[in-house]
Amino acid sequence: MSSVSAGRDVFTERAVAPLRVVVVGFGPVAARFIDVLEPSLASGAVQLTVVGAETDAAYNRVLVADVGVGRTSPSAIGLSDPARLVSLGADVLLGIGVRRIDRARQQVLLDDGTALPYDRLVLATGARPVIPYLAGLNPDPLHPAWPSGVTALRDLADARVLRTVVERRGDVVILGGGILGLEAALAAAEEGARVTVVHHGDYPLARNIDDGGGRVLASVLRSQGVRLVSGAKAVGLEHSGGGAFTALRLDDGPLVSGDLLVLSCGVRPRLELAEGAGLPVASGILVGHSLQAHHDEHIYAIGDCAEVRCVSPSCEDCSGNTAPSGLIGPGWKQAEWLAESFIAELASGARAGDGLETPATVTCAGTESANPYVKATAAPSPASADSHRYVEAALPPVLMLKARGLDAVVAGDAAADPWAAHEDGTAVALWADPQQGSYAKMITRHGVLQGLVCVGMPRAGAELVLLFESGAVLPSDRSSLLRLDGAEAEASLSSSASDPSTIVCRCAGVSRGSIEQAAVVGCSSVAEVSASTRAGTGCGGCHNDIRTIIEQHFQHPVELAGHTPYGDS
Amino acid sequence: MTLTVSGAGSASGSHSVEVRGRDFPTNKGGLCRKGWTSAELLKHPDRVLEPLLKNDDGEHRPISWDRALRLIRDRVLSTRERYGADAVGVFGGGGLTNEKAYLLGKFARLALGTSRIDYNGRFCMSSAAAAGNRAFGLDRGLPFPLADLGSARTILMLGSNTADTMPPFVQHLQGARDAGGLIVVDPRRSATAALTSEGRGRHLQPSPKTDLALLLGITHVVIMDGLVSESYVRERTSGYDAIARSVNTWWPERVAAVTGVPANLIRETAHRLAEPGGTYILTGRGVEQHANGTDTATAAINLALLLGLPGTTGSGYGTLTGQGNGQGGREHGQKADQLPGYRKITDPAARKHVAGVWGVPESSIPGPGLPAVELLASLGQPGGVRCLFVHGANVAVSAPNASSVLAGLRSLDFLVVCDFFLSETAAEADLVLPVLQWAEEEGTMTNLEGRILRRRAAVAPPPGARSELWIMARLAELLEAPSSFPDDPEAVFTELRAASAGGLADYSGVDYAMLDKELLAGEVLAGEVLDGEFPDGGAAAYWPYPAGSGGTPRLFLDRFAHADGRAVLHPVAPPSSSVSASVAASDGMLTLATGRLLEHYQSGTQTRRVDGLLATSSEQVLQIHPVTAAGLGIMDGAGVEVSNERGTVLTVAGLSTAVRPDTVFLSFHFAGAGSANVLTSSETDPVSGMPEFKTTRVSVRVRRPARSEVVGV
Repeated sequence: MSSVSAGRDVFTERAVAPLRVVVVGFGPVAARFIDVLEPSLASGAVQLTVVGAETDAAYNRVLVADVGVGRTSPSAIGLSDPARLVSLGADVLLGIGVRRIDRARQQVLLDDGTALPYDRLVLATGARPVIPYLAGLNPDPLHPAWPSGVTALRDLADARVLRTVVERRGDVVILGGGILGLEAALAAAEEGARVTVVHHGDYPLARNIDDGGGRVLASVLRSQGVRLVSGAKAVGLEHSGGGAFTALRLDDGPLVSGDLLVLSCGVRPRLELAEGAGLPVASGILVGHSLQAHHDEHIYAIGDCAEVRCVSPSCEDCSGNTAPSGLIGPGWKQAEWLAESFIAELASGARAGDGLETPATVTCAGTESANPYVKATAAPSPASADSHRYVEAALPPVLMLKARGLDAVVAGDAAADPWAAHEDGTAVALWADPQQGSYAKMITRHGVLQGLVCVGMPRAGAELVLLFESGAVLPSDRSSLLRLDGAEAEASLSSSASDPSTIVCRCAGVSRGSIEQAAVVGCSSVAEVSASTRAGTGCGGCHNDIRTIIEQHFQHPVELAGHTPYGDS
Repeated sequence: MTLTVSGAGSASGSHSVEVRGRDFPTNKGGLCRKGWTSAELLKHPDRVLEPLLKNDDGEHRPISWDRALRLIRDRVLSTRERYGADAVGVFGGGGLTNEKAYLLGKFARLALGTSRIDYNGRFCMSSAAAAGNRAFGLDRGLPFPLADLGSARTILMLGSNTADTMPPFVQHLQGARDAGGLIVVDPRRSATAALTSEGRGRHLQPSPKTDLALLLGITHVVIMDGLVSESYVRERTSGYDAIARSVNTWWPERVAAVTGVPANLIRETAHRLAEPGGTYILTGRGVEQHANGTDTATAAINLALLLGLPGTTGSGYGTLTGQGNGQGGREHGQKADQLPGYRKITDPAARKHVAGVWGVPESSIPGPGLPAVELLASLGQPGGVRCLFVHGANVAVSAPNASSVLAGLRSLDFLVVCDFFLSETAAEADLVLPVLQWAEEEGTMTNLEGRILRRRAAVAPPPGARSELWIMARLAELLEAPSSFPDDPEAVFTELRAASAGGLADYSGVDYAMLDKELLAGEVLAGEVLDGEFPDGGAAAYWPYPAGSGGTPRLFLDRFAHADGRAVLHPVAPPSSSVSASVAASDGMLTLATGRLLEHYQSGTQTRRVDGLLATSSEQVLQIHPVTAAGLGIMDGAGVEVSNERGTVLTVAGLSTAVRPDTVFLSFHFAGAGSANVLTSSETDPVSGMPEFKTTRVSVRVRRPARSEVVGV
């Protein structure tokens, strides 16, 4: 039986019983999925159960570092209201783990022995921090038992640990020069902590950024008070008599001491539940273009734990790197797509089920007989559009550093050599001003951005991201993008030229020459010029200019139209 | 403004009139060029001076008023008999006086018996109005006197180019500019955006259609950085938690990647708005004229509410009303879903009250009709409108998807247009009725602050022209309409007061005598936009002004207009598709925004007839970035063709770095080959019915025909 007909069976049942949807994981992606699905909860079409391992309901993980440095509160980053979900009939189970999935019986077994039957299981288990091999640190990701003074800054509990150190302006050591490590480092430094980043490579973001950009970035980071220990390999932890972290030991011997070690060595999808259930996994849980797990039409995966790669080896959409990006954007898109596709299917299933028009359609028809021109304004749903197929965006993700004192963005492949001859239409434009901390690199193929680096040029960086994402052809004069951050971009429209045809008063359209002429015929105040020429009678913004012209006139009388300013006598 | 008439009393009309700016709180003596030149329209040779009937040969020929009115009666009756009452429609305008707007609504419902009435304010204020009603329970453009802005340290203006569209207004920004706190959000570096230069503020230049994301980003910072006015939110609003959750996902860097506005500029803006010293947030058509305009205006209101601005002294939220009577015109029954006093036509209590004032059974008042775009789409269609009255609007130029509107007008059985010029819409009419201009009639207007102003007749109208009140009164008689249709403006206003009593926009305590007292003794006044002074101590009349009260200059100081007194924070988000880079620019298409110019007003019917205005803006110009133009081989002044699947505009290019490279700009003031609205679509906001005017996809290419073919006007 194909998955499509199986799906329809489920919806036929819906006529008598709601669709039982169990979501495992209650992070930002699960929250988004549930948000979009909410109308189906409210209508009773879906019976939802969400299981979260953390005791907090979904919160915005992107902002955990902000909580950790005390910029904002845990409550401010909440993404979901469990009480509201419960009021809609959902079961929200927090602080409880899932032991295993029983695919044969279509149920999820919780740590406390509860069995949750499902018609559809959505795995949104996310990712966990990578734990580096360091002497003194238990490498088992499933049973972390870390010395005090070590955290991964992944959840709110980690944020609380960081908070205590930043509050007393302690020493924070961050292991890892990736984007999350840098964001934590800058935030902590800005809030007064002393921060050291220990990382591989010659400069931070070495996996993404190019050489020039990396060097400029490093120097800007240093100027922001972040100490960089580059090209370092950490091998172990030093700890106090009480077992608390005191320093990080590097392979060539030196110690980097601190009050807290933040591990920022990347994340890895949480796959054990899927693996334990025998679902195929690669870097993530493998799902096809309906976000359905391979070979199980009742199980779906979204977010950091999901890898969109279908079973067809010849599928062009799945030909590149399909590993989860670890960024939130794609996860949210998957969540929205999946929830919308559930809703669309439920709607069509319900109509097929009872063989009658739904009440909504009847209402619409009733309206139509009176108002034939009332058009339904329903948003296009994935089911009705040609997008009944989830395809991961072909574009590589954009890394925009989340920081207050520093603007940096990297996207795509930034490595191309500007001086090399490229056969494939690739061209590289480059701007570097290391002294000012600014750097921009645009790598295009046939005029379309393939990669970019932008440091210290906020407008240019943001515009380049728009161009990168839209796939637009760049202007042939690439420098026009750099000038967005120039002083002239903020200049006023008025001109101070002494050309008599220059318009001084835009509102009334009065030129410098006309005002000079008014002065010639005796107007000696702004009010008189206004009465004579209407200059200055709109917004009044040119009054100073008029005054200046009058003053100039009486200092250096201008001869106009054959007249001598003060008469011929 | 003030009209001085010399040689007044001369019945021959040989008198001359002069316009001057009046020192009034809103304009502080200033006038725009349109104001200065407005008297030229009174004696303009193009004026229609007699009713004109289109003959079979397509030519308009004069007929008598008597014949014209009887013809209308016959056509209304035959249409009604054949197709039902809803086959007769009315399209009004935001430039009509309160009296005309009120009587037009009554005329449609009682004399014509139709539900099919709406007006051009749907293209103008509908999104802000819907958002204001949703959040505050009431929509008055500025819920505070305009002059209050002068004391603010910070003013955030979103999508409003008042330096071109309402120059005297700019004077009120001076305080914020002096404090370095004028923040302008506009994809173009407009004249208003340029007011932020030299340390006077900041210009945020988002990519088109991303205003909502930008507002969510600013709101995100307000919440995350603890800038929320907590006691205000607790005591005066509802819905905080849902807002906090919904903006949580819009951190500044994410917003920067969507809008092109740097993350730290977003942070700075949020912090600046939260500084003490008075902060106002103002929206204009730039953010409202979108298919999600209501949500964008709502996002601006949410931001204002979280900062604790609305309903306090010295801070607030407002929307800048566009047309001369854009405020009053949306209060008294020209809207499809509305009865006088800003009442809902679906509210049984409202219907009962108005039926009582009108002396008719409640059941004789039709239900809600169709919003403007749908009304126009129904023209000539089966089940649609077959006979249409147009008052104070030029839909052939101003409505979106103008070619299809024109086709709709041409498919009507009968089109009656009331205008003083042969506008592009009037040119299509079977019957054109010449009406009065601003300086020739008595009445009231309600300005952008909700202040009711008296308009006084200063000059005698041409003999053949008639007031629309008179026309409606005569037609009501011929159609044997129930109730009464006075043709005296004061009598109509008296009835309006009663009909509005107890409604949101309650005018019951205002009368002509009181308004007249506000005028300078001996001076004759006429107001298109701004008016009046009260040297003799007369009070300024801000609605709601129930009988026995003193009016309401500042709304919401104690409570908002919802039953629980609280403002509603309503979570909004951009449609998920617009957040991703779904707009593929790789096809070479550009985004067209439409808007206004300093020299022109609305569809240009009036301003395109003033030589002084044409001197600096005589034809349509496509504003395009030099870099974009270079890529397309377009030189400054070159003839260009702007087109999409709906139509083509032939115009000339004006190169300007004020527009983003991905965007081009056309004004909507021109007709014919330069008519921007042949390109815009009929897509509308699901809440307000506002069309999408600002993000039309177009392609631009150079054209090489002879210069003489370039038609702009």
